[in-house]
Amino acid sequence: MSNSNDKETTGGLLDNDMQYHVQLKNGDISDFVILPGDPGRVEFIAEHFDSATLVADNREYKTMTGKYKGRSVSVTSTGIGCPSTAIAVEELANVGAKTFVRLGTSGAMQDYTRVGDKVIATGAVRFEGTSVQYMPIEFPAVASHDMVSALIKSAQNADLTHHIGIVQSKDSFYGQHNPEGMPIASELLQKWDAWVKGGVLCSEMEAATLFVVGSYRKLRTGAVLLVAGDQAKQESLTKEEYKANMTESINMILEASLDIEEGS
Amino acid sequence: MQTVQKVEQVKHLPLKFGEVARYVIVPGDPNRVPIIADSLDNPIHQGQNREFNAYKGTYKGIDVSVVSTGIGCPSTAIAVEELSYVGAEVLIRIGTSGSVDKSATKGDIFIATAAVRDDGTSKQYIPIEFPAIASHDVVGNLIQASKDIGIDTKVGICQSKDSFFGETEPERMPVAPYLDYKWSSWKKGGVGASEMEAATLFTLCHIKKIRAGAVLAIETSDKETVQNMTKIVLESITYMEEKRNVQ
Repeated sequence: MSNSNDKETTGGLLDNDMQYHVQLKNGDISDFVILPGDPGRVEFIAEHFDSATLVADNREYKTMTGKYKGRSVSVTSTGIGCPSTAIAVEELANVGAKTFVRLGTSGAMQDYTRVGDKVIATGAVRFEGTSVQYMPIEFPAVASHDMVSALIKSAQNADLTHHIGIVQSKDSFYGQHNPEGMPIASELLQKWDAWVKGGVLCSEMEAATLFVVGSYRKLRTGAVLLVAGDQAKQESLTKEEYKANMTESINMILEASLDIEEGS
Repeated sequence: MQTVQKVEQVKHLPLKFGEVARYVIVPGDPNRVPIIADSLDNPIHQGQNREFNAYKGTYKGIDVSVVSTGIGCPSTAIAVEELSYVGAEVLIRIGTSGSVDKSATKGDIFIATAAVRDDGTSKQYIPIEFPAIASHDVVGNLIQASKDIGIDTKVGICQSKDSFFGETEPERMPVAPYLDYKWSSWKKGGVGASEMEAATLFTLCHIKKIRAGAVLAIETSDKETVQNMTKIVLESITYMEEKRNVQ
């Protein structure tokens, strides 16, 4: 890795090259990319575009590109967790993506964050291992101001119940759902309590790294997290409710994309 | 705080319950308080205790307070705790700062969206993974105000440190390699300004469910720049008050 300009040693990570994991090259994607976690959700999201074509499907990374009301848009799945999200963001940025909006599901953390509500993240708790391999832990995982503003506007226009604030990104799904069962139970429980007291709205698994890598690579970032479950209240969305709520969240992001100047 | 009667003086600030405005401008320097208060109508000096100097006046009919925090996050946390106790709801810092990644340079005015938690105080409130973020609403109003008044600003992330000389003369510190490594990370990661109070201001206000923002002058503290920052902050307060009245 001594010569960073050497294709052979960078694994094809250079601009204009076919990107190693997402299998995309320049021209394959829009400057505006929606990032769900689940590859199985990509097609459903693209159904809300006016037109869409499948451009790549490799590992957990599935990409479709198309148009919404004349604006170019793409959707790429990240897989679960910050490690695969960092790869997706880096490689998408290498081939021209400039704005990234995560669309995901999350668990409620406050009494007033109810299933079906949409959370617009202003920032994220960095309770994950990937972003610290980019920036020291003191650095804030923060979404872009203009992206957050555009998302708030589209949520208000569609009259959706939404919350604006900080979300928690974790690495261990079962550490959240069954903290008592974990060897580090006391740390998990203590920190969870601190996030709740600190006003954190919901828990998910990708936003912190998206925001930190975005700051470092000077990208525009945002995230919409649909509250899909509430452990404390033992509530979750039915399949039909989930679909309807996802449609609302997708349309919210697509409408917000119209406020972001193409290519900016 | 439970032992304090609401009519009594809080422990450090020269203020009693109800003596503070909803909107408070919080500079670091107690000597900058009267300069900022000069832009208010009928400013009244409410007192000074230690580094905490308090004025109150009005701007376009809206009550506005100016209270200094002193240097650093420890005294800032005390100011935020006591200000929120006596009734403050929006705290906007006006301060000076150093340039980091050169996206903002000497003479620029910088609106902070978030802060690097290179301080010790905020960690005594919430674990380090939690982001120190300014209120989205306050930041939006500050940006709008600066545009409307026609004062150029930069917008971005600032770093809050505890050791002033650790930034200006890192090589003489026993932890020099640590300071260098951190500083180069902030530079590469897109940090625009370095100061000493925002991380605790943002973190603590978020926990207390009150709003916060910060406007920083890069490498200058001349009177004109302070007055320009004051103009932006006061204009943003009129927007926030207008929206509050609509709701």
